[in-house]
Amino acid sequence: MEKRDLIKIHDWMWEIPRKYRWDMNVPARVYTSEAMLDSIVRDRSLDQLVNVATLPGIRKYAIAMPDVHEGYGFPIGGVAAVDAEEGVISPGGIGYDINCGVRLLRSRKTLEEIKPFLPKLAHSIAREIPSGVGRGGKSVFKGADLDRVLQGGAGRIVELGHGTADGLKAIESNGRIDRAEPKLVSDHAKERGHDQLGTIGSGNHFVEVEVVDTILDDAEARRFEIEAGQIVVLIHTGSRGLGHQVATDFIRVMTGCMPRYKITIPDRELACAPVSSPEGQQYLQAMAAAANFAFANRQMITDGIRRAWRWELGKDEPLEIVYDVAHNIAKIEEHQLDGAKAKVIVHRKGATRAFPGQPVLIPGSMGTASYLLVGLESAMRETFGSTCHGAGRVMSRMQAKREISGPELRQRLSKMGVIAEAASTKGLVEEAPEAYKDIDAVVDVVQRAGIAKKVARLRPVAVVKG
Amino acid sequence: MRVSAATLEGLFADALRGLMELVKPEYIRAQTVRVQIHVAAPDSTALLIDFLNEVLTRCHIRREIYPRAAFRSLTSTSVDAELEGHPVAGFGEDVKAVTYHEADVREHEGRWSTMLVFDI
Repeated sequence: MEKRDLIKIHDWMWEIPRKYRWDMNVPARVYTSEAMLDSIVRDRSLDQLVNVATLPGIRKYAIAMPDVHEGYGFPIGGVAAVDAEEGVISPGGIGYDINCGVRLLRSRKTLEEIKPFLPKLAHSIAREIPSGVGRGGKSVFKGADLDRVLQGGAGRIVELGHGTADGLKAIESNGRIDRAEPKLVSDHAKERGHDQLGTIGSGNHFVEVEVVDTILDDAEARRFEIEAGQIVVLIHTGSRGLGHQVATDFIRVMTGCMPRYKITIPDRELACAPVSSPEGQQYLQAMAAAANFAFANRQMITDGIRRAWRWELGKDEPLEIVYDVAHNIAKIEEHQLDGAKAKVIVHRKGATRAFPGQPVLIPGSMGTASYLLVGLESAMRETFGSTCHGAGRVMSRMQAKREISGPELRQRLSKMGVIAEAASTKGLVEEAPEAYKDIDAVVDVVQRAGIAKKVARLRPVAVVKG
Repeated sequence: MRVSAATLEGLFADALRGLMELVKPEYIRAQTVRVQIHVAAPDSTALLIDFLNEVLTRCHIRREIYPRAAFRSLTSTSVDAELEGHPVAGFGEDVKAVTYHEADVREHEGRWSTMLVFDI
């Protein structure tokens, strides 16, 4: 696709018209600046967005956020809402890491107060939270115990004594997606995940200690109890091997059942089934179980961070949940369409729910910044209540490993005042700041487009990753 | 990863070997393990991806690698094989899934080939 194939709607939004390709059911819209669009058209993410626009039952637009980049089938940074009765559900539109998401914790400490303890704190967090390839956690959940987690999500972990029930209110869907059915999660998926609760994993997942660098909206910051200089902790991880196996299992199921429903798609990774079909319903129930596993995982990790925090800073030092939000998920929601309320299934793959007044967490890469935003009413009208999810890669992991030196990166982070506790130098290099788009530019687009508002800019001071 | 071979069986065997290298097994033990595997799929592309995913899942669950396969039967829609391999201490690369992205098993001028893209 070339830039000339898009029509500029306004400075922060471009459209690929429905006539661009005969099989599009709706137009596609891209939230971006013109400068970022020049880089977006270099990969195949917009061709993938056009493929998404062909899904049966898709409503209004296929939508790409400014952090969009090429994914498997669906672009990462994409939103697709399908009719809840006539549409299809596609596991590829959620992604392999079901309910990959972000949780922000606020402390009552400032950077000055914490500085002397920071190296030991980072080390303690790394000790409490296993990270890296295939690393299992300290707890094993099997049989009925695991099923209760898959049904109960973060709430089940609280029942087991890890956290308090009032913290659940600060989690998307209160940390539990309804209709989860553990029986539909395969034995393989359960075996992959049984020892992974409380672990970060590898890739771009991390725990970061951050300082609130700048307050950008005083009133909202006060509402979220955030102020400049305050130390916060950001957790980014998902459903680990269990979620990946659920996705793999159901992409396979849907690849097999599509001919029966006479569905043809332009890319195998868009494999889907009618929402109303047994396969569609089973996926929704299995996905809900995997999403609950991810909420439970972030709850267990929070418990580990609190242990490390109390160990290094004293037993009366609280860490409260600001918010916890998914950015790889499908949700059944009601939205206003053609002047009437309509029930849709919103696929968010690398996109964050941004309902009015809701905190939105946008993790950046280490060494740059992360953002706390707030959702706006206009997101409900334009993007099915969705916004961006991060910086978005510009360099593949392989390219990053070829071009970036591990020792040089560690030195650079150190000069920037960032402590890095990484299970491997390779993992660190893959996530170097230059492998990502400019996070400031990404959130600038969503603010200017009116789909989310900046509340605070956060800067990392310690990074723990796989 | 681009894979090509003279036969469909060779393509499956080479893709398997490639995947086992990609996961970077750590501390491979001498003990030999064998696993039976049967996969069915609508076509040869889906079959290869589903076969590799099935192997990958077993690697994760059992902490084993299976670089060798004896194919009892292999058609474009089903594979029946005995895998042979070894226990390992862990993996250096987190290959989470084998995707259908860009996969297209084709025979052209006597060679079978496909691209394989992994979720890492």
